Amino acid sequence: MGTIDLRAAADENSVPDISSQVHQLPCCIRFDGPSQVSHYFKPTSSEVEIDGVRTEEAHFRGRKLQGATISLPSGYSGFVLGQASNRNANGKRKASSPEEEKPCWEAKAKFDRMTYWNHDTLPSKDDTFLRSFHWFSIAEALHKPVKAEDFVAVSHGEKDKM
Amino acid sequence: MESECLAPEWGSQPCVMGIDEAGRGPVLGPMVYGCLYCPISYQTSLASLHFADSKTLKEEKREELYESLKLDKSIGWAVDVIGPRELSANMLAKNKINLNEISHNSAMGLIKRVLDMGVLLTEVYLDTVGDPEKYRVKLCERFSSIKFVVSKKADSLYPVVSGASIVAKVTRDRALRGWLVEETGENINRNFGSGYPGDPETKAWLEQHKHSVFGFPSLVRFSWGTCTTHLKSEVEVAWESDETEENGFGNSSKRQAKLSRFGFTNKSESRSEEIESSGKGRCKFLQARKIQQITQF
Repeated sequence: MGTIDLRAAADENSVPDISSQVHQLPCCIRFDGPSQVSHYFKPTSSEVEIDGVRTEEAHFRGRKLQGATISLPSGYSGFVLGQASNRNANGKRKASSPEEEKPCWEAKAKFDRMTYWNHDTLPSKDDTFLRSFHWFSIAEALHKPVKAEDFVAVSHGEKDKM
Repeated sequence: MESECLAPEWGSQPCVMGIDEAGRGPVLGPMVYGCLYCPISYQTSLASLHFADSKTLKEEKREELYESLKLDKSIGWAVDVIGPRELSANMLAKNKINLNEISHNSAMGLIKRVLDMGVLLTEVYLDTVGDPEKYRVKLCERFSSIKFVVSKKADSLYPVVSGASIVAKVTRDRALRGWLVEETGENINRNFGSGYPGDPETKAWLEQHKHSVFGFPSLVRFSWGTCTTHLKSEVEVAWESDETEENGFGNSSKRQAKLSRFGFTNKSESRSEEIESSGKGRCKFLQARKIQQITQF
């Protein structure tokens, strides 16, 4: 299993904040690398507001995209991960055999806002992307340490039912 | 754009209208629908203005005729400019609208606009778009009080259509000449040529201005077959809406493909699971939100 190293991101200035530049498109661009995004991709704010969020409009490869910029829920951050430089504290390359080498990822950039885009449909609360955030509160409930009082509350509840 | 917003004095007399288009075939720039209308009683004078089909006229002659018909108080006109971005977006929409339908809607929009001004249209002449009879029936159903004539070469047969073709052609040429290229930081030149896919100058321009990721500047109609050919060697872009159409798989397959491409894979993932919806085999809550567990990365 690989590891993710977020230590760099914890420091305010060590990784760039790219909050206004993260877009999720409803397509797969089979390319990985830098591109002149701001010269070609020019979102404009539309007049429509849905659930208190102003919708935006953009075009990509001839298709009309409708999107919304959302803040990540508090307590959560977005990271762009890249292969870690694979160097130890002395700056020397770790000597490791290929089978021992585990992929190691580190934060290259961070964001707390992002824009997601739908092809031809206005953004709404029903979008899968926004709905996936529901997991956060469930995860929180699932992983919250159980305290003694919680046991008491549950066992009392059981008795009441009986 | 139109001659006037209020009905002209003669608008209460029975009027005839011609409708024609410019820039339907080109791979770039706007498509323009133009209409010209006048009282039926003025038609004979219209014939003496020597409007021929705009395509057979030289550019200067067209410009000259355009200026003179604008000054003619017995003639009204209007245009509908449909930009390349709008054309592409409609033709590549989730529910695709083909060019014939876009053309029909534009023509009907012009008729409605002039009727709403209070002009008494009784006859409308148009060139064919698709099946002429079906088009005529469609128009009659929408505007029952108007007599429609849908005819091949209407632009050379009826002076009122010739006039409309001049309005459309001059508007398209001017729009293309003055086109504001939105894309920045690139050496975008304006030697588009005619815009027809077969024009060597247009071909060269397309080849010079293609971008591996973004395709072309937004002046280009991405929905044209020529574009697909030009972009074959560039970065492939797969759309959720297309994928569903082509192979019937849900729309999460690309996101999956994306994840695996970056080295994220589910431990027990087989080939088929990679293309089917993420969250497969998990509870409904997770499936509906396309939340997948990543155990290897």
